[in-house]
Amino acid sequence: MAFDKMELRDIEVWDGNFAAAQALRQCQIDVVSAYPITPSTPIVEGYSKFLADNYIEGEFVMVESEHAAMSGCIGASAAGGRVATATSSQGFALMVETLYQASGMRLPIILNVVNRALAAPLNVNGDHGDMYLGRDSGWIQLDAYSPQEAYDLNFIAFRVAEDHEIRLPAMVHQDGFMTSHTAQGVHTMDDDTAYSFVGDFKPMNDMLDFEHPVTHGVQTEEDWHYEHKARQHNDLMTKVPTKIEEAFAAFEKLTGRKYNQVEKYDMDDADVAVVCMGTSVETAREVASEMREKGIKAGVVGLRVVRPFPFMEIAAALKDIKAIAALDRSSPNGAAGMLFNEIAGALFNTDSKALLTGYVYGLGGRDLTKKHLTDLYTELQANVDAGKVLTPLQQFIGVRGPKLAFL
Amino acid sequence: MANTGWDEFEIGAMLRTFEGEAGDTVGTLQEDRNYTQNSSFSASVADWRIEKPVFNKDFCIDCQFCWVYCPDISIISRDKKMIGIDMDHCKGCGICVEVCPTNPKSLLMFPEQADEESEIANWPAKETKEK
Amino acid sequence: MSEMKKIKNLKEFSTSADRFEGANLLCPGCAHSIIVREVLNATNDDLVLAASTGCLEVCTAVYPYTSWDASWVHIGFENGSTAVAGAEAMYKALKTKGRLKQPDRNPKFVAFGGDGASYDIGFQWISGCMERGHNMMYVVLDNEVYANTGGQRSSSTPIGANATTSPAGRVSYGETKNKKDIVAIMAAHNIPYAAQVAPNKWKDMVKKIQHGMAVDGPVFINAVSPCTTEWKFDPKDTMHLTDLATDTLVFPLYEIIDGHELNITYRPKNVIPVEEYLAAQGRFKHLFKDQYKYLIKEWQERVDANWAYLNRREEARV
Repeated sequence: MAFDKMELRDIEVWDGNFAAAQALRQCQIDVVSAYPITPSTPIVEGYSKFLADNYIEGEFVMVESEHAAMSGCIGASAAGGRVATATSSQGFALMVETLYQASGMRLPIILNVVNRALAAPLNVNGDHGDMYLGRDSGWIQLDAYSPQEAYDLNFIAFRVAEDHEIRLPAMVHQDGFMTSHTAQGVHTMDDDTAYSFVGDFKPMNDMLDFEHPVTHGVQTEEDWHYEHKARQHNDLMTKVPTKIEEAFAAFEKLTGRKYNQVEKYDMDDADVAVVCMGTSVETAREVASEMREKGIKAGVVGLRVVRPFPFMEIAAALKDIKAIAALDRSSPNGAAGMLFNEIAGALFNTDSKALLTGYVYGLGGRDLTKKHLTDLYTELQANVDAGKVLTPLQQFIGVRGPKLAFL
Repeated sequence: MANTGWDEFEIGAMLRTFEGEAGDTVGTLQEDRNYTQNSSFSASVADWRIEKPVFNKDFCIDCQFCWVYCPDISIISRDKKMIGIDMDHCKGCGICVEVCPTNPKSLLMFPEQADEESEIANWPAKETKEK
Repeated sequence: MSEMKKIKNLKEFSTSADRFEGANLLCPGCAHSIIVREVLNATNDDLVLAASTGCLEVCTAVYPYTSWDASWVHIGFENGSTAVAGAEAMYKALKTKGRLKQPDRNPKFVAFGGDGASYDIGFQWISGCMERGHNMMYVVLDNEVYANTGGQRSSSTPIGANATTSPAGRVSYGETKNKKDIVAIMAAHNIPYAAQVAPNKWKDMVKKIQHGMAVDGPVFINAVSPCTTEWKFDPKDTMHLTDLATDTLVFPLYEIIDGHELNITYRPKNVIPVEEYLAAQGRFKHLFKDQYKYLIKEWQERVDANWAYLNRREEARV
């Protein structure tokens, strides 16, 4: 190899963006096609700097929009090589057309999504509006709660996405600023170990194999389209979860760090539980411990794999819980929240008698405080004690003005 | 592939043109290539035609105008000679007849059901220009 | 560098083994495939092709059929250019890293798009590709209308054309805006080569395509593609219409090297009045009513002025 390896300390102090950029370097991405947007920009800046300093070989294509960024990724991936990029918010929204095209064409592109609110009004801070916008796009979606996880999940994403039985693109999400710009200790892998986990890129249906010309991106009408979409859904439902579990197991063996599709904290004997994503998981875990000191058996469930949604795993994790709060960090704009609906769907038809309530919080980077969560757990326990839901099914947390609640 | 189910084809709606290795595509004439059933070469649009071109080689000067301007790769030229029309791929547009420079033309349009041999036997004579 | 294909005359050209197949779904008499054949047959090199959504794309890759013998990709309406640019970037990366399966090949990267995909919705994507210097060629199949969606005006539709969104009517002569000069805009990116071509002048076309494939960097080609369906003429007359387009100088053939050196590559021996070009097409039929005849005169003046401008630029060498 003509490029240099980088010596890393066992623990580096990295923010989520730099952790993701280091993961891309260690995976030896062939092409990054990218466009800057706050707060994800440092990821692709990192890749271009590694390129400039000869820590990687590849092509960095700085295009003129996020739509073009993903278009370039699709062309590069169809040509046959390892491809990644990063975006947030409006950039993600501009990419949406091409997200469906990438997944429908079964191209294993990795997209780091540094979650940020969607305008209007314009906002640069973290919420999950962009993550939710992508949830029907046919991509695998993994959620990191910390810089360490942003680093680790990139390797897992490549390993799953590029598997020839899968061949689906994957997003690695992290919270804008709270993760992306907050430096923490990150346990690293050395370059060889990290690369060996993802392995050499194995081309499939690659346009640059001139002995096997291939047509990508055809038109299918009512006589074929349904079968192709059904195939993609089938693979997401049946093949991807198994591969994710295998990758999690292999990663644990390599690093000792264990991931699960559904992360459970203090859940073994819990009566009440909060289900959330991103940096809120850590806050909820802290509050849950404090609630236990007050005699409330509180637990936390974090969703690690957003898509394909771990329907059975979430039902199992919440099987014996008496009151559940689903925390959605995206305005549902006229419905119950996504997590509320998914959890309700998972528990329906089971023996669960859980009291399920939904909470919308943290839009546009508004803090979720320990006080919010203390109040929330207290409400859940009150529901348990009363044997029924005492509050509206949907409440907004931390918004100024009169109490906002629905349903 | 008419009735294949969702689990019976390649992911990504990907299509291959050739069985096995393509080999030297530009050095291999169509009849010698190993197309898959997915190449439109394997398909026919003959039923699009209302009229068809008939080729009379007696008047052809092998100028290749018909070859270069045929939109449907349906003029079969081999070794710089026009040898016939690919009736599976000809849509009957009539461009070949229009661009044919000979007098009389070496290509003329006839109704799809016309008999080629008798049309050639009754081919129009050279037109004389009125001075 | 691969050897350029020798094409001295049409007989020699006719020995080409096409890499674009029939039984595609383009209309009978469509000029798109004539242009595509001339472009593809201009080289023996391997090809990596892309198309933006449009007539060519929807007619040549309808599952389970493909009309392409070389690798081909379609993503969306606006990004055929960037699709091939991404593939070109991957080619460079894999070449550097020694991972090409056939390292001895010299692939050419070519994207096709209609005028809607190129003058309008994909304009920014093409500009980006031209500016970034990808080693690729972008070919516009310019039929001056959104033909695939049924004949709406694009920014390539010329004044007076009857399009479904700029229809001629009792108080309207159709399209009111003049055609965008896309070759000048793309040449202004200081790309090594930009040219306007027409399929009737196959030798001029082949020469330009070969030149474009030989230069290092992005190349922009605008090809006139008479549309039997939307221009409203008999399918057999496609080449006649192309002759009228070039010989009335409505579509002058020229090239711009390095963004400034303009060469006119075809000078008709007998320049035909523009009126004949307009009269041959149903989309301009209404211009021959008395109240709109002044527009025909203006058409001629515009074409004359543009030809004079091109000649001045050629002479000035700037």
